Formats: sequence, C-alpha cells, structure tokens
Amino acid sequence: MTVRAARPAALARRFAPEIALIVILAILPAILPHIGGTYDIANRILDWGLFGLGFDLLFGFTGLLSFGQAAFYGAGGFVAAYFLIAPFTNNAIVALIAGTVAAAIFGVIIGYLSLRRAGIYFAMLTLAFGEMFFFLDISPLARWTGGENGVAGVPEPSLGFGLFTIDITDPGGLYWLLVVVFVVGFWVARRIVASPFGTVLRAIRENTARTAAVGHDVPKYKLTIFVIAAAYAGLAGGLLGLLQGYMPPDAFYLDTSGQLVVQTIIGGAGTLIGPLVGAAVWLYLYTLLQNIAGIGALWKMILGIIFVLLVTIFRRGLCGGAVVLWRRLRARPAPAPAVASASVKPTRAAPEPRRSTQRPPPTGPVVLATRNLTKRYGGLTAVDDVSFELREGEIRAVIGPNGAGKSTFFNMLANVIPPTSGTIEFNGDNITGLGATLVCQRGISKSFQINQIFPSLTVRDNLRIAVLARSYGKFRPSMLRAVDRDATVNAGIDAAAASVQLAERLDTPAAELAYGEKRRLEIGLALATQPQILLLDEPTAGMSPAERVDTVQLLRRIASGVTIVIVEHDMDVVFGLADRITVLFNGHKIAEDTPDAIQANPDVRAAYLGSQAAHESA
Amino acid sequence: MEGERIVAQRKKNSVSRRRVLQGAAAAAGTLPLIHVPRAFAAEESIGNWPEGAKGESVFVGVTVPLTGPYSADGHDLQKGYEIAFEHLNEGGGLVPHVPSLHGKKGVLGKKLVYKIADTQTQPNPAVQAQTTFITQDKAIMITGCLASNTAIALEKLAQRYRVLNMVGCSGANETTGVDCQKYAFRSQPSAYMAARALVPALAKAIGKNKKSIYLVPDYAYGHSVEHSTGEFTEKALGWKSLGSQVCPVGTTDYSSYLLNIANSGADVFVNVAFGNDAVASCKQAKQFGILDKMKMIVPNISAFQGQELGPEIMGGVYGTLDFWWTLAETNAMAKVFVDTFYAKYKYRPNWPAHIAYTQMMVWADAVTRAKTFDPRKVIAELEAGHKLQMPLGEVWYRKEDHQQVRAVPVVVGKTKAQMRNDEDFFQIVNLTPGPEVMPPDFLGCKMPTSA
Amino acid sequence: MISWPLFFSQVFNGLTLGALLVLVAMGLTIVFGTLGVVNFAHGALYGLGAYAGYVAYGYTNSFVVAMAAGALCLLIVGIIIERGLIRLYYQRPAEDQILVTFGVAIILVEGMRAAFGGLARNIPAPSWAAGIVNLHVTLYPTYRIDVLAIVSASLVLLYFVLYRTRLGLIVRAGIEDQLMVNILGINVTRTFLTVFALGAMAAGFAGVINAPIVTVTPDMGADILVQSFVVVVIGGVGSFWGAVVGGLIAGEILALTAMIQPAYSQVMLFAAMALVLILRPQGLFGVEGRQ
Repeated sequence: MTVRAARPAALARRFAPEIALIVILAILPAILPHIGGTYDIANRILDWGLFGLGFDLLFGFTGLLSFGQAAFYGAGGFVAAYFLIAPFTNNAIVALIAGTVAAAIFGVIIGYLSLRRAGIYFAMLTLAFGEMFFFLDISPLARWTGGENGVAGVPEPSLGFGLFTIDITDPGGLYWLLVVVFVVGFWVARRIVASPFGTVLRAIRENTARTAAVGHDVPKYKLTIFVIAAAYAGLAGGLLGLLQGYMPPDAFYLDTSGQLVVQTIIGGAGTLIGPLVGAAVWLYLYTLLQNIAGIGALWKMILGIIFVLLVTIFRRGLCGGAVVLWRRLRARPAPAPAVASASVKPTRAAPEPRRSTQRPPPTGPVVLATRNLTKRYGGLTAVDDVSFELREGEIRAVIGPNGAGKSTFFNMLANVIPPTSGTIEFNGDNITGLGATLVCQRGISKSFQINQIFPSLTVRDNLRIAVLARSYGKFRPSMLRAVDRDATVNAGIDAAAASVQLAERLDTPAAELAYGEKRRLEIGLALATQPQILLLDEPTAGMSPAERVDTVQLLRRIASGVTIVIVEHDMDVVFGLADRITVLFNGHKIAEDTPDAIQANPDVRAAYLGSQAAHESA
Repeated sequence: MEGERIVAQRKKNSVSRRRVLQGAAAAAGTLPLIHVPRAFAAEESIGNWPEGAKGESVFVGVTVPLTGPYSADGHDLQKGYEIAFEHLNEGGGLVPHVPSLHGKKGVLGKKLVYKIADTQTQPNPAVQAQTTFITQDKAIMITGCLASNTAIALEKLAQRYRVLNMVGCSGANETTGVDCQKYAFRSQPSAYMAARALVPALAKAIGKNKKSIYLVPDYAYGHSVEHSTGEFTEKALGWKSLGSQVCPVGTTDYSSYLLNIANSGADVFVNVAFGNDAVASCKQAKQFGILDKMKMIVPNISAFQGQELGPEIMGGVYGTLDFWWTLAETNAMAKVFVDTFYAKYKYRPNWPAHIAYTQMMVWADAVTRAKTFDPRKVIAELEAGHKLQMPLGEVWYRKEDHQQVRAVPVVVGKTKAQMRNDEDFFQIVNLTPGPEVMPPDFLGCKMPTSA
Repeated sequence: MISWPLFFSQVFNGLTLGALLVLVAMGLTIVFGTLGVVNFAHGALYGLGAYAGYVAYGYTNSFVVAMAAGALCLLIVGIIIERGLIRLYYQRPAEDQILVTFGVAIILVEGMRAAFGGLARNIPAPSWAAGIVNLHVTLYPTYRIDVLAIVSASLVLLYFVLYRTRLGLIVRAGIEDQLMVNILGINVTRTFLTVFALGAMAAGFAGVINAPIVTVTPDMGADILVQSFVVVVIGGVGSFWGAVVGGLIAGEILALTAMIQPAYSQVMLFAAMALVLILRPQGLFGVEGRQ
C-alpha cells in the first residue's frame, strides 16, 4: 500500500468504469441520429439513470425495495423548480442543491417511519407514503407546486460557479450537464459500494439479523442509505424540471416509482449501471412498440409481460446477466490461493495441550453474571430464576435435556431476546435490554446453531463484516474510502481466517463451502469481532465425528484468549472442553460444577434419565 | 464551433462558459449539430421550418391518452385525428367544403405524416413524446391532449421550440388565459365561455335566486369552472353559492362529499367533476337522492358521460358540450363530419373527435392561405380572424388570446322515452353564438405581438 | 356548516366506507399473513372481479349471479396465478414476490383495458337494494346499508372458516409460525394454493360488491390497493380483527376529514398510518416481532 503518485496506468485502472462511461457518452451524440435518438431522449435516460443510482444502492445493494421513490423525485424537483421561479436564486446549482437537500430531509422523515418495519412491510409503507406526497402535492401544497398543472416556466439552467457562470440553452448543453452529473453520481455510488459502508449494506441485504448480531447498528445504516437514495432522487427530480423547463406533477405519481422499479429490474439491480440501461430499454420499447401497427395501447401490457418474465427467469437483468457471462468467459482454472497460509500470523497462541478436568478452576474476576434471570412466554416459564457467574478465561458449558431452557437462556445472554425479569451484568455493568448489537460492541459475540453467514459473499467479505464492526464501531458512514485498503481490517480478516482455518478459502463464496467449513466460518464471524466472551450455540451441530474432533481442537485453541460459554448436545465435546458445567432442567439451574462432579451428580442423572423416559413414553 | 450553441441570453460571463463547454465537446471529439433555432429575422429559419417542410411530406406529432383514466376519450380523439389526416391527404370528408382546400390532396401538396404517442393521461409522457416528435421527426405542428394540465404543458413546449400547437381537449380558462402562448390555439370553449353560454338556458329552466353548491375536483380546470359558473349564475341569475366540496382528482367514492351536499339545503347541484370522476359522482349523487331533491348542472359534460350514465341519471341535466352529433341535423358541414366518421368507425363522433378533426381542418386552411408552413405566417393567418365554415357554423380565432370564437352548444339530457337511438342522449337547447360568450378581458392573457 | 345530523351521517358513512375497505383488506392480510406474500396485484384482481360481475350481469341481469361470477371467476384466476407464477416464488426473497405481483398487476390492468376499453361500466344496484332509506339524520342509499350486511355476513363466514375449520387452523398457525407448519408435515402446497385463491376470490367478490357504488374501470383497483395497505398497517398483518378495526378506522377518517377539510381526507389517512407506526409499529392487533 504505497502512496500512489498519479501514475496514469493506475489512475486509468482506478477510474476504468468512469472512463468507459465518459467515452461511451461522448461518442453517443454522434451515433444518436442514426439510432433514432435525440438529445432529449438521451437526457431523460440519463436522468432516470441518476434517479436509479440511488434506488440501486437502496434495493440492489441493501435489499430495501421502495415503491415510494417518486416522493423524493417530486419533492426535489418541485423545490428546485420553486427556487428558480420564485425566484430565490438564478443559479441552477443552488436550486439543485436545495432540491437535493429537501429530498434528503423528507428521506429522513419517511425513512424513519418506513424503516420501523422491514421486508414486504417496507415496500407497502414506502408506497403508501409516496401516495401521501402525491395527495399533498395536488391539493394542500398546490399553491407552491401548481397542483395538477405542475410548475411551468422553469428557466434554462444557469450554472453559477462564483467567478463565472455557464448558461445552458439547448438540449446539447443539457446533455453535457447531465453527463457530468451522472458520471460524478456514478463515481460516488461506486465508491460507496466499495467502501466499508457499502460492505455493511451488502451484509444487510444478505442477512440483516447477523449483521446486527456482529455489532452493526442496522437501522442507522438503513436510514443513511435511504436518505442517500432520496438525495439522488431529489437531484434527478431537479434536473428533470431543468431539462424540460417544466416540472410535471407526474413526478409524484405511483407510476413513476413503478417505472423506476421496472427499469432497474430490466437493466439489472445491483449493477449501478442497470437502471440507466433499463431506462434506455423502456423508452426504446415505448417508442418502438407504439409504432407497430395493431399494438398501440398494448405497449404497456407487453412491457408488463417482459417484466414478469425477467423477474421469473432472468432476475439479474441485462447488466447482471452480462456480468455473469463476462465472468464465465474469463473463468480460468482456479489459481492457487494468493495468500500462503504460512504467511498469516495467528493472533492467538499455538494450540494448547489437551485441556483436562484437572485444570485448576478459573479464578479470574467475574465477567458475566445473571441475577434471577426469568423468561415467561404466556403461562410457560422457559427460564426460571437463574443466577449464574462466569469468570474470565473460563470455558463454561450449559447443558440440559431438550426443553430445559438452554437456548432461551443463551439468547438472553446475547441480548437477542429480553428477559421477563432479572438482570445480566457484564464486567459489572447492567447490560439487560441493550440489544444484540450493543452487547456485541461491548464484547459478547454469539455464534448460531443454524449457520447465519452471508452466503453470496466470499469468506473474506464475510469476515470483513465482522471485523468492521469491531474496528469501525456500530455505525460509521465511511463511504468514500476503499474498504480493501484498510490494513487494520485486512489484518483482522487474516487473523480470524487463520484461527478458524479458512485462510486458503478466503476468496471462495461462502455458499460454496463444505458444511464443516461453513460451521467454522460461523464461529469465525463471532470470533472476528474480537469478543471478550464468545457464546457458542451447538458449534458442532450436524458435524461428522471427525469434524467434531477438529472443532474441539479449534475451540481449545481459540479459548486461550477468550472466555467461552457453550451450549452443546454432544457430551464428548462438553466434557472435553468445559472447565465448569451448568445444568438447566425445566428452566431451573439444578447443578453447576466441574465436569467430574457433574458426571457424578445424581440430580443431573435423574433429570436426563427422566426426560429420556418421558420422551420415550410420548 | 457551432455545435454547442451556447447562446448568451443573460448578462453573464460568456467567454468562460463557452470555453468550458466547447472544451467538453472537443474532448469528446464530436460536435453534435442539434440545436433549437430561434426567431431573429423574418426570413430566418424558425422552429422546424423550413427544415421540416423540405420533403414530400410534413410531420405532425400527436399525443393522446390511450392508457390511464382518460383512455376512452383518448381513443375518440385519436380517431378524430386519423380520419382528419386521411381526409386531408385524400381530399375527402370536409376538405371539398373548405374553399381553400377544395380539390386538393395533402396540404400545400405535401402529404401529412403523423405518429400517435400514448400520454398515459399524464403530462410528462406527453411532453416527452412531443419533444421527440419535434426534435427527431421535425414536426411542423403538434397537437392532441386530453386534460388542461397537459394542454398547458404542451403549449409551453411549443412556444419553447417555436412549433405550432393546435391544442386538443382543454377547458380550463388558463389555456387561453394567463398561460396563453403565441404558438398555441385552442378551439374548445373555455370554462368561462361554457358558463356564460349556460346562463340563458338555466334562467329558463331553473329560474332565478337559487342556492347552489359545487363539487369541484381540485385542479386548475375544476377551479376555473367553479369560478366562472359561480360568477355568471350570481351576476345574471342571482344565485347564491353555499360553497364547494373540493375533492382530489381520481376519487372513486364521493359519499362523504355528497352527504355534505345533500345536507346543504341547496336547490342546484353543480357537478364540475370530469371523466370517470363525473361518472362516479353523478351515479352516487343519484343514489343519495340528490338528483331528486336538486337540479344537477354539469357545466362541461364529458365525452362519454351520456353513454356511461344513461338517461336515468343524465335525463334533465343541463350542461354544455363542445359538439354534439345532432348538429348534423341542422348543419351540412356537421352532417358530412358525422356521416363520414360513422361510416368508418360505426359510432357517432364525440366531442374529442370533433376537436381533433376541426382543428386539423382549420390549420390546413390557414397553412394553405398562408402558402407556407412557416409558423410565423400561419400564426398571422390564424390571427387575421378569417371566418371559416365548420360543423359549428362560422369559427375564427381571436388575435388577443388565440381562443376560437365559436358557438357553444347548450344541451339537456334526454329521458329514456325521448331517445330516438342508442346514442341520442342530449338535446341541444341553445347554440349560443360565440361572440356573445367571449371573455372581454382575455382572462389575463398577454399575447406578444410577434412570433 | 357542520351540524349534528351531518356529523352522525358522516360517522355512519364512515362505517360503510370502512366496511368495503375491510372486505378488500381482508383478502390481502390473510394471504400476506399465511404465505408471506404481499399481493400488489390485489387491486387489479379486485377490478377483474368487477368486470367478471359486469359481464355476468350483462347476460343474466341478476346481481346475485354477478356476485357469484365475480367470486368464482377470481377463484379460478387465483388458482392460475398461484400455480403459474406465485408457486415459483415461495423460496425466493420477499422482494421478488412483490415484483412479480406488481408485474401481474400491470398485465391485468392493461389486459382489462384491451378487452373492455377505458369507458366506465356500471352494474346497477340490485332491485332489492335500490332506493333510499330515511335514517332520520339523513337519507342514505339502501344499497350501501345492504353492503354493511353483506360485508358482515362475509366476515362471519370467514371467521367461521378461520376459527372453526382445519384449513383455518393451518392458516392461523401459518400466520403464527410458518416453519412450524412446514415441520408438522401439513400439505403446505395445497394450503398455499387454497389461501391464495381464496384471497383472489375475496378481492373479486369485493370488486362486484363495490361496482354498484363506484364505476368499473381498468384502473379502479389502484387507489383501493393503497388504502388497503394502510388498513393492514394500521390493523396489523395477518390479523382478522386488525383488518376489521383498521378498515373501520380508515373509513371514519376518510368520512370525517371530508366533512371538515375535504382536500386533506387522503392525507389524514396516511398521517394516521404514520402515527400507528410511531406508537405501535406492529399495528393495533399485530403480533410483536413478526416482520
């Protein structure tokens, strides 16, 4: 990582997509007349493309499907138009900024409300709020927005740069303005995607719950990208008014949001350039289909059919498909792993000899304690008045027959679910009710019984997500720096990969890992947040006996620097690892002692046998 | 370096701006040559003239709503254009009856070519499509729309590109009022004209000193109609308005508003809603018993309102129409139009088709008499006030606001028993002559003197 | 201008407006709750039901036949859409389901326009419900009062199906915990088909019921879809009583705001939704934790 002087070759590589875009957009005017296009159409496509950049960040990269983007497109457009005709300013740049800021402010409000629910709820809410803006536009705010008439007479853009001014008076000039804005917008979007912030966005798309569990403040990230998307929409809306001298009320229509969604899917979500391509296809088909005799009004239905087919069988869209094709064509035999495992320095010490029950009982300070922890579901008490203390450096197993309340107890420790009563203390602080994200930030990390990894990301990116939560905190909108250039984070990834023996698989998509490797990655994710306490929920679930042996060794190695609580069914694992064992039965703690003592404990025996008998009779 | 025509309109630093944009163009290695010519001297090119009139044919850009709430009206409008272009190109229909066009095929010997684009009942697609028609197809004239918001947007577009716009359907006062444009001409009666034309018939049928209440869709057209109707019924008839129920456009259930109206104690219910909104609100007003208690007036009746609501609801309702086909019984020109239309499409034309058809005839006549497609000269010819016989009788444009002076048919809905055929929904009670209803103050229009 | 009689009339009117919303939202919320599919084509199906009723009425002049036709026709359409498309989507992200139903809505709406044109069509109120009733505070259309009865009867029937039949048990269990239902080895495929088709049927039925009040046009479902989203959000997803209460609240808001400040009636509806989101994000009757 040397500081690069602007070496042309390196710069060209760095800005390759932008350079390619500029070249294509620069040649386009020469081709336009031959393909039946005009500057006006090109301008509209660029405007849709810009609008779509924000939407793609929101939907393609973060997985948030909004049907209300028209609200911001319209808000930005009308504020910008109003600034110019009021006139508060003659400078189109000031008006555009005002529109963008206004859209972003509306984005904060609508985002705050809509993001209170996720998934399909979110789509419904954005659609409903989008409609609210439409109704506000046409009636209560008609004095400013012109209601159904829109705002006509938006002056041709005059761009003031302080010392000099550029007046743009024809579609050709507008084209260059839009090209500049789009390329800059594209560059910013691409930087966001490649930034630590962008990595967290993709993590949210892949697995929201896990992103929160490794310590990222998901709602803040979502709101931030929602506001960014709103700002893009506002800027595009402002430009729409400028490019046709008229700000149409349609900007607020549900159809506008719908068209944006359709165009993005056709072009390819998650590609940034997709919405632009989709807009070109839409406008081209709109013109083409209408001029075919006998189709006329059916053009929209045909587009609808194309859309449904694309969603069903070609979800990646045109650009996504092209990317896949390109990768397939370039695919060569997999090269040897770039990073030799020997060069990776493990952070933890070398494996310890087999721990035995003879190990002296841990005497460090109490790091985690529960006081009278209780969880009730309706009439059922899952965990009843459990008090428990964990000392630093200890490996503690929590066992108990099925239905003993282990998982509930465990989830309360990780703050995944709140207790009905009782408290949890960590390093002497009451952490009850903080939530998984904050608890993870404080140093308690949990690995899950069912793998909660980020399947379509590589192992490296999986671990990066967890490492980022540690080194960047729960929320840091670091959008413009390249995530792969952060040496601290890279070191963290390598260390975590080494400790779960995945150093050679760093560039493999997580979905392609073998089951045992996925399990190790699952543990690695928890470990990469560098917790003080690691909570392992059945780490060997579903593993073959050989894999279990490996895993036990792995865990023992890890344990040298970290306190562990483990829930496990496999008694070989439990007795091979644990310093002390807590036994839960029917929600009560019935025993807590060294493995040897537990083995001899008659209550524990009775509990297991009794539950066994009950199971068999059932 | 003509490519990026950077016109110094404002008193700004033109040197640096020129350098910046030319730099961009030069860097791109291309110098695109698409620009918008502007008015300078009379001999200079303007808009798409003469470029758009050089070939064997001239292009006309047409936008109509084929999808969205006004799609039914849009299809009628579309047919009006299609048959008008057919007649102009073949010398059929009304063409032999227009003196300047008699015996001619095409306009100034050129064939009319056109494309029709769907506006989806929204202004933005209309502006988008017409921009393409103007910049790419070199349209010599643009026309067609079915809502005042679209009409006004297209008027301004036409003005910007200096291309003539023969406005389609638009009833708002603004179209030839505050938003009037040198390059745009409207034939449909404005809300003002409709209201003024209605007054004598209302005096006879309903009487003086009544209480009225309005249902008003919340957009320019709705407020225009409410304002004009209120003004005239108050001044001429002494009616008192008890207020208005303003509702969003596109409302499907009007029950809340209608309850307010039903409980208002008014004698007359003025329903300003248009299109599907008019159909839904009239139908529901009937269900709420309002039509039994009050007289309903629809100042501007939608194209298919008779057909959609039937005589049970529309019987006895007063209103105005741009055109009604029974004019064919008294006017030879109307008969030619209605008959040729019926022969081709198997139904009698509604007023959108009439607007489309006659606007094209009036334009062709003006171009022929001007002997050029040069919009400045065509505008001058249209402004000259030459009177032309059309299905409504003599029509001409006013110079001051580009509103057509034309008769306004005042109609009353027929009852089932009165209908002679299944399209015989209205009886014309008065054909109010145009000059009697024109707004004297031009409704705020300040028409520039030169194009 | 606001008098007590007018106030009471508007409160009553809010009830009937709400009843219609309940009917439309119910299909949406049950499908949503059970299948986890939010059907953006629900409004289009509602419109299609109205057209089916319109055609049937044209042949028979019987409103009862029209109701049956609207419901049955949409049951079949629901089966076709589920088998042909939605079934492929259960394993895919929720966003894809939204996208595909959104696309289906475009096709259906434009298909209706191609088949029937853009002209508004009417189904008259049935002869047994024509006329006006004097409610003392106001005159009120008989049919709208009958709609209250029809909706109530349909809801009672639905309640019975949901709470007294095996299908209802599975549906309710599915709303609570989908994974569990799968584990219990219940034939999910058939249940999903049934539920989706019933949801479509409910939409179609609501379309016919609404047709005598509103006009039948291809775009008639757009507004009602958005309003039923609001109802579902206010009431809570998958909740029978949530849909009922949410629908009635929405109806009252529309009616009472229209009395005071008509231009704000739609906006107030969304404001109410925002309020619920702030105070009780899961909806009035929603289960906490469910997304």
